[in-house]
Amino acid sequence: MEGLKMDFISSEALENASSMEKIYMIIEKVKKGAVVVMEGGLSPSERAELIETTMREIDVENFVGIDVHTLEKNSSSFFGFSKKKTVVITIIGPANVMKTVKKQSNLLSMVADLNNG
Amino acid sequence: MSFFDFLINLFKRNKKVSIGLYGHPNSGKTTLANQIAKDWTGKDIGSASNIPHETRTVLKQEKIVIKDGENELDFDIIDTPGIATKIDYQNFLEFGLEEDEAKERAKEATKGIIEAIKWLDDVTGVLLVVDATTDPLTQTNITIIGNLEARNIPFIVVANKIDMEDANPNRIVSVFPQHTVVPVSALNGEKTDELYKVMFKKFN
Repeated sequence: MEGLKMDFISSEALENASSMEKIYMIIEKVKKGAVVVMEGGLSPSERAELIETTMREIDVENFVGIDVHTLEKNSSSFFGFSKKKTVVITIIGPANVMKTVKKQSNLLSMVADLNNG
Repeated sequence: MSFFDFLINLFKRNKKVSIGLYGHPNSGKTTLANQIAKDWTGKDIGSASNIPHETRTVLKQEKIVIKDGENELDFDIIDTPGIATKIDYQNFLEFGLEEDEAKERAKEATKGIIEAIKWLDDVTGVLLVVDATTDPLTQTNITIIGNLEARNIPFIVVANKIDMEDANPNRIVSVFPQHTVVPVSALNGEKTDELYKVMFKKFN
């Protein structure tokens, strides 16, 4: 790979897409070596579907799967009585490219290994 | 016994309890399944090893009955392959596998993960087995918990491998404060009595 391609996708771009459309779009991009940075997160069933689709697409020589990382923020609900985390950014990339990922509460740091892409 | 209690018991008897063991590869799911099966039926379910993805198909042990005084929990145990987002056959080479064998293992592991996810539709309770020596806040654990919550499936987070020196079950408690966390060592059976008590409450 000559360089690292990163695709940034706004939440508006995904709001009318079905779950399967979202997942296939992500997988197609990641299989081509891109790192997808999405505004917002996937639902639990979409995350399970993403893993399932990834497993179907793995071929042992060229595509070994994905790495998924998220950045969250605390959000209060029910008049501030309960707190939960909301995903603000989701990063999905080829597992053989996303080598080093360090995560702190407000910072996600990634080093890509371009020799494997 | 009132008529109402009679009806509840009737429904309980008819409802088959299937408890799935979920988690990362090498978190100790099969070791725990074997420990439970050995404690209550005297025999193992499957083989465990240090090589990731040793369990590549769902293993089922029907009719395990655990008892505590008058309490009784009758269930099938579903030991699922470890869930991961990536499988690189080259990682298996480090364990001494030949290349062909490693590639075959990787292919089988992908199918096993799909099967494990499909089983989420059929289990009535889950033991989420987490290796207490590792960071519990992973996409796999978050995905499993999110799906269990969305489907209203009761679950217990089992903080496994507390026999290891670097185990830190408190980290799991702090990461999942809203969930029931039970520290155990599936390998030597330490604190499994506590787990059985919690299982009565959660799954009965």
